[in-house]
Amino acid sequence: MDKLLTVMRREFLSRVKTKGFIIGTILTPVFLIAMMVVPGLLLFLKSDKPKQIAVIDQTGAILDSLTATLSERNASGQRLYTFVKPEARPEEIETLKKSLSEQVDRSELDGYIVIPASIYEEGQADFYGKSVTNFRDNGRIENAISRAVTAQRIQQSGLDSKQVRQLVRRVNLKTFRIAEGGKEEEDQGRTKTVVWILVAFIYMAMLVYGQMVMRSVIEEKSSRVIEAVISSIKPFHLMAGKIFGVGALGLVQYSLWALVMGLLSRYGVKIMGLSASKLTNAKLAMPSLPPETLVFFIVFFVLGYLLFAAMYAGLGAMVNSDQEAQQLVFPLVMLVIIPFLCTFYIIGSPNSQLSVILSLIPFFAPITMFARIAAQTPPAWQIALCLALLVATILGMIWVVGRIYRVGVLMYGKRPTLPEVIKWIKYA
Amino acid sequence: MQTLQIDSIGKSFGKLEAVKDLSLVVPPGTMYGFLGPNGAGKTTTIRMIMEIILPDRGQILIKGRPNTSREVLDRVGYLPEERGVYPKMKVIEALEFFAELKGMKKRDHAPKINEWLARFGMTEVRDKKMNELSKGNQQKIQFLTTVLHAPDLIILDEPFMGLDPLNADLIKDVMLEQKARGAAIVFSTHQMDLAEKLCDAICLINKGQKVLDGEVKHLKRNFGRNNVILAYDGNSDFLKQNGLVKDYNDFGNYVEVHLREGASPQALLAAAMQQAEISRFEIAEPSLHEIFVATVKEN
Repeated sequence: MDKLLTVMRREFLSRVKTKGFIIGTILTPVFLIAMMVVPGLLLFLKSDKPKQIAVIDQTGAILDSLTATLSERNASGQRLYTFVKPEARPEEIETLKKSLSEQVDRSELDGYIVIPASIYEEGQADFYGKSVTNFRDNGRIENAISRAVTAQRIQQSGLDSKQVRQLVRRVNLKTFRIAEGGKEEEDQGRTKTVVWILVAFIYMAMLVYGQMVMRSVIEEKSSRVIEAVISSIKPFHLMAGKIFGVGALGLVQYSLWALVMGLLSRYGVKIMGLSASKLTNAKLAMPSLPPETLVFFIVFFVLGYLLFAAMYAGLGAMVNSDQEAQQLVFPLVMLVIIPFLCTFYIIGSPNSQLSVILSLIPFFAPITMFARIAAQTPPAWQIALCLALLVATILGMIWVVGRIYRVGVLMYGKRPTLPEVIKWIKYA
Repeated sequence: MQTLQIDSIGKSFGKLEAVKDLSLVVPPGTMYGFLGPNGAGKTTTIRMIMEIILPDRGQILIKGRPNTSREVLDRVGYLPEERGVYPKMKVIEALEFFAELKGMKKRDHAPKINEWLARFGMTEVRDKKMNELSKGNQQKIQFLTTVLHAPDLIILDEPFMGLDPLNADLIKDVMLEQKARGAAIVFSTHQMDLAEKLCDAICLINKGQKVLDGEVKHLKRNFGRNNVILAYDGNSDFLKQNGLVKDYNDFGNYVEVHLREGASPQALLAAAMQQAEISRFEIAEPSLHEIFVATVKEN
């Protein structure tokens, strides 16, 4: 047991100290944060700048309403949108547009809007600007014009505008998720995204850390240090020490990331000097997950890692070099990619027959069963069966791989054929 | 009690019988040479002693206990023929790692490591990475890990391979010290002259079978005193002409002759004097080299 810890410590420390690990650990959350925050941040930075927009209003009734509706001011108290009225006679419209375009080009104006007299019938206005992809601005202006036009239409029809507004009020669809025991919870609509992120974490744990175990086995083999090592520790304990050492590294790395993300979603706002209301727009806040989902996440994270780390260790024992390993690694990678690709379907229909079958296949289960649990809690017996099958597979795999490992680490030269590997398992 | 006792072990790989019914004993405080031509089964036997390969038959006892227990193997030091290092590990880390794999605690191995590094003149490299060391220095560190925990049994597969004479002498001295301490040392080598000078006892195996073993002085005596050394100048046809000579090793003006059973050394001298000028004539003990060559050929 002491020796297993010695190996585990070596695996852990020799990796923690590498530049690659330190950089990867720091850069990953920075990258994630950047992905989440930067688009929102850019939006604020842009929209804080006051905009000067000319309006050619051929109806003569929309401009005032527009000015009244979009009256927000930025932090320094300036109006965000200032609408100006150029002199417009219908026969001069093309000339006017030309002169306005020149003003936009000289940056005297941010853009101009043409509201034709036919807007009540045709429902179309045109916006011209240098940048027409600021969806926030476009959306607001569109809404404001739309409201003004609607109000005008109602007025013209002689109906009571208050009554009409009552009649055409929008309907919002609020979504709820049914958890175990029929308990209802409000779904913030972001659960799916979070499930995706968690599934991706399990996926990464199996691939990235599994391959790390494999490389560690190959390194000992190709540097020929293995014989001295296994004369002092049982090969099985060496393998276990490796798997636990790299696993501990994975847990530390993920915990660090979780901690950073947690702190950021709580305090990050203040650090960046943004107000809380803007934060909601930036979608930084993590939706709260039911605690059982997080427990299952950890369970499947650990079990998935153990299963794949054992398989990768066995693969590493069979080959002589990283290049040789890359040729054989494909089937293992497929065992991770297939369930990952199925996740989309499973989150959509978590209780279909296909989903149930996919979630009970031990090699797929860490991803597929977790996705089901996160989407809609499956019957308890299915979870129990899945866990039993998964644990049995892990134990069986460790037994088989332990034997492959014992023989394989001392085999140099030709890559073994499948019958040879079966012989190793029999005679080890 | 014997430090190492091997009772009729055997091991086959498929159709190849690598080791057949091999038995030997090594008492404490013995320098034991494990000799044989390439592919004779030396490394396989050594790996079975270290429980890296499991024997198909027979058992191996170390100080009277089966080697299947890890505590027993913790009292053994092993330098494999395939010697590698963790390239990125610091010297001190590698030494600590292997000491701990042998069950040593930090408070015990820290002073030992310093002591040995000083002895090997390698104190300055303790914080260097293994792959920054020369091959010779790497090998010294590897040797160091086999004696650090003061084992009862030390197994060295080709310990002198690739060492310069200075370092070879250093290793030889440490081996003798360990023997004086009471450890049994089993080592394989192809350098017969060195084995002859160092070993108290040897085992010679060929094609997986033991062909000769025992104390070196007994082996020499039993091999017969029908060995003649001649220094000559002139025609060496006398070596071929008569029925006296079984085989010989001719160096041009110096020849080691192995006489036929019952042949008289005096008769050879008489024949030689007719054809060449003889400056030296000696009835000698056979060298380990001769014993090796003769036995393996016969076999």
